[in-house]
Amino acid sequence: MIETINLTKQYFKLAAVKDLNLNVRAGEIFGFLGPNGAGKTTTLRIIGGLIQPTRGTARVFGHDVVKDPVAARQIIGFIPDRPFLYQKLTGEEFLRFIAQIWNLDDRKAKMEMDRLFEVFDLSDWRNELIESYSHGMKQKLVMVSALLHEPKAIVIDEPFVGLDPRATRLVKDIFSEYRRKGCAILLSTHTLSVAEEIADRIGIIHLGSLIAVGTADELKKRVGSGDEKLEEIFLKLTSPFKEPEKLDAAVSHPT
Amino acid sequence: MRQYPILLKPAYYSFRNRTRRVEPGTKLRTLALGLLAISVWAFTFYAFVKVLRYFQGIEFIGPLLATKLLSMIFLVFFGILIISNIITALSTYYLADELEILNQVPAEPSALFFSRFTESLLESSWMVLFFGFPIFLSYGVVNASPLIYYLWFPLVLAFFLLIPGTIGVSVTLLLVNLFPARRTREILLFLALLIFIAIYLMFRLLRPERLADPEAFQSIVSYFAAFQIPTSSYHPYIWATNAILPALNGWPGGNGFLSLALLMSTGLAFVFLSNWLHQGMYRRGFSRSQEAKRSGYFRRTPLDYVLVLVTFPFSPPTRAIFVKEVKFFFRDTTQWSQLFLLAALVTVYLYNFKAIPLSRAGMPTFFVQNLISFLNLALAGFVLAALSARFVFPMVSMEGRAFWIIRSSPLSARQVIWAKFGVMIFPLLILSETLIIFSNHLLQVSRFMNYLSAITMFFMTFGIVGLALGVGSMYPRFHLENPAKIAAGYGGVVYMLISMAFIGVVVALEARPVYFYFMSYFRGIPITTEEWIGFSFYFVTAAALNVIAFLLPIRMGIKSLEKIPLP
Repeated sequence: MIETINLTKQYFKLAAVKDLNLNVRAGEIFGFLGPNGAGKTTTLRIIGGLIQPTRGTARVFGHDVVKDPVAARQIIGFIPDRPFLYQKLTGEEFLRFIAQIWNLDDRKAKMEMDRLFEVFDLSDWRNELIESYSHGMKQKLVMVSALLHEPKAIVIDEPFVGLDPRATRLVKDIFSEYRRKGCAILLSTHTLSVAEEIADRIGIIHLGSLIAVGTADELKKRVGSGDEKLEEIFLKLTSPFKEPEKLDAAVSHPT
Repeated sequence: MRQYPILLKPAYYSFRNRTRRVEPGTKLRTLALGLLAISVWAFTFYAFVKVLRYFQGIEFIGPLLATKLLSMIFLVFFGILIISNIITALSTYYLADELEILNQVPAEPSALFFSRFTESLLESSWMVLFFGFPIFLSYGVVNASPLIYYLWFPLVLAFFLLIPGTIGVSVTLLLVNLFPARRTREILLFLALLIFIAIYLMFRLLRPERLADPEAFQSIVSYFAAFQIPTSSYHPYIWATNAILPALNGWPGGNGFLSLALLMSTGLAFVFLSNWLHQGMYRRGFSRSQEAKRSGYFRRTPLDYVLVLVTFPFSPPTRAIFVKEVKFFFRDTTQWSQLFLLAALVTVYLYNFKAIPLSRAGMPTFFVQNLISFLNLALAGFVLAALSARFVFPMVSMEGRAFWIIRSSPLSARQVIWAKFGVMIFPLLILSETLIIFSNHLLQVSRFMNYLSAITMFFMTFGIVGLALGVGSMYPRFHLENPAKIAAGYGGVVYMLISMAFIGVVVALEARPVYFYFMSYFRGIPITTEEWIGFSFYFVTAAALNVIAFLLPIRMGIKSLEKIPLP
C-alpha cells in the first residue's frame, strides 16, 4: 500500500503540499483530483522518489521513500505526466535498459517485453528511435516500462493525455487487472469521468491539503444532494472563493 | 508589416528576462565571461595594431599587405557568416519551439519573414561584429583616421552582413525543401567542423613559425605582393574592402561611396529575393520539417557485441548505463563528430613536439628535452581538463528531462555516478597516456622522466575525470541539450578553475625533486638515500592530492545528485 503521513513540501514560502495524510490500499485504485497547482504532481513525485519532502513520511508497502529509496523504487511503477525519454535509443533498447536497471531476469524480461509491445500495439516500432515516436506512443512506452518489472504499486500522473480511445480503454483494463492482482494504484487525473469510472476511492486536494476522501457516491452525498455529477462536487469543493479550512464544515474530514 | 515589431517582441522579452534573471553564480559567471571577452578583445586589438604598425614600416609593400589583410578578413567573415546564417536560419525558420504558434497566428508572411530574418541575422552575426570591431578599430588607430572612418565602417559592416545573412536564409529555404530540417542541420554542423579541422591542420602543418625566419619571410612577402586588390569585382568582400580603405585617410570619396552603394543595393536586393523565396517555399518546407520520419530499423550492430563483451564483468544496472551512454554518444552527431576534432588535436599536439627545434634553444639538449617533457605534464593535463569539460562534465546534465527515469529507478546516485565514471575513465586514460608517452618518445627524454610522466598522468587522469564528473553532478543543467553550452555555465567555470589549480599544484610539487634529479645527473653527483626519502614526501603529497581530487568531488556529486530537484 501507499501511505503518506503529514507529508509537506515547501518551495521557499509556498507550501505545495501541506500535512498530507493519504492511504492507498493494496488492490485499490485511488483517484487523486485537484485543480492545477493543487499539489497532485508534487505528491506523486515525492512518492515516486523524484523529489524529497520538506517533512513528513511517504511509504510504499512499508518502505520509506526517503530512508529506503532503492527498496521503495524497486516495487513502484512510476508514470509521469510528460513522457521525456532517451530520444536516441530505440523502444526495445530503452526497455532492455529498464530491465537491466531493475535487475530482471533476461529471458523473463524479454518475454514480458514482447507481450507488452504487442498489447500496447508498439511491435512495429520497437526498433525505431524514440525520437520518431508520437506523443501517444511515448506515453505508451513509458507505461510499458513502468509495468515491465511487475510493480506492487503504480503511481501515475495524468495517464490518458495523448492516448487514443482504444489505448485509453486498454490502460483502464490493465489497471483493473493490476488491482485484481493486489497492486496499489494512485492515479492523478483531470478527467473526472475516468476517475468516477475506475477509481475505488477519490481524494480531492486543494491548495496542498486533502479536503475530501471517499467513494464517488460518498462525496456526492456529503457535499450535495447525491444526484450531482462528480464535476459539480469537484467545482464546489475547489471553488476559489473558499479556503480549505472553511470547507471543513461542508465535508466530513478525510480518513 | 504592422505585425513586424509585435513578432519580434517575444525574442526581445526573452533576452531581457535572461539578462535580468539572477541565479546562483550569475554574477561570477558574468564577471568571468566579461573578463574573458575583454581579454580577447584587447588581445585582438593589440595584435592587429602590432601587425599593422609592422606593415607600415615596410616600404612599398607595407600598405599593400595591410589592404590584403583587410580583404582576407572580409573574405573569412563572409565564409563564416554564410555557414553560421544557414545553421541559425534552420533553427529560427524551421526548428524553434515557438514556430508552432507563430505559424498558426494570422500574421502576414512578410512580417513573419522579416521578424525571423532579424532574429537570425542578429544571432548569427553578433559574434563576428563583436570580435571584428577591435580589428577595424586598430586600422583606424594605426592610420590615425579621422572621425568619419569610425562612423563609416559600422555602416559598411551593417550592409556587408546583410548579404551572407540573406544568402544563408535563401540556401536554407532551398535545402529544407530537399532534405529534412534536422538532418540538414546535422550535416551542416558536421561539414563546418570538418572545414574547421582542415583549416586548423593546414595552418599548423604549414609551420607558421617559419615567419620568424627572415629568409622564409622574403618569399612570403613576394607572394603577397603578387596579389593586388582589384578595384572592380563581383565579390562583396572586395566591395567592403574598397569601401573601408578610402575612409581610413579621410572622406570616402567616389570609390568608397560606389562600393557602399554596391553593398547596399546587393544586400537589399537579396533581402527582396529571399522574401520572395520565403513566400513561395516556406510553408511546404515547414510542413516537411514537422513530419515525423521513421528513423530506420535498428538491428544489432558489431558495437552491440563489443559492448556485451566489454561490460560482461559488471552488474546489469551498471551495464545498462554503460551501454546507454555509448549508444547515445555514437548516435548524436554533435558528440561523435567531436572525435574528428580530437584526432586533429592529438595530431597537432604530437606534431608540435616533432617540430620543436631543440638544438636552437641555447641549452644542453638533454636539459631542454626533459624540461619540455616536464612542462608537457601540465600541458597534457590542461588538454585533458578541457576534454573532460566537453565530454565528462556534461554527462549528468545530458540526462536532461529524462532524468526522472534514473531518479525513479532503484539505482542509487552512487551507482549512476560510478557507471558514468567507468564509461569515461578508460578512453581518457588511453588518450592522456598516448599524449604523454608519444610526446616523450618524440623528445627522446630520459627513462626517469618517462616513468614519472606516465605515472603522474595516470593518477592525474583519475583526479581530473573525478573533478569533472563530481562538479558536473553538483551543477547540472538539465534544460540544455548542447554539451558545449552545459560546460560553459557557472559549474563549468568552477570546474576549470579547480582543475587548473589542481594540475598546477601537482606539477609544482613534482618540480623540486625533478630539478634536483636533473642537477645531480648534470653534475654527476649521485642522489643519496636521504634525499630520495625527502623527495618521496613531494611525490606522496602529489599522490594524496590526486586521490582527494578523484574521490572528494565524486562523493559530493553523489550527495548532490540525491537531492537535486528534477528538471
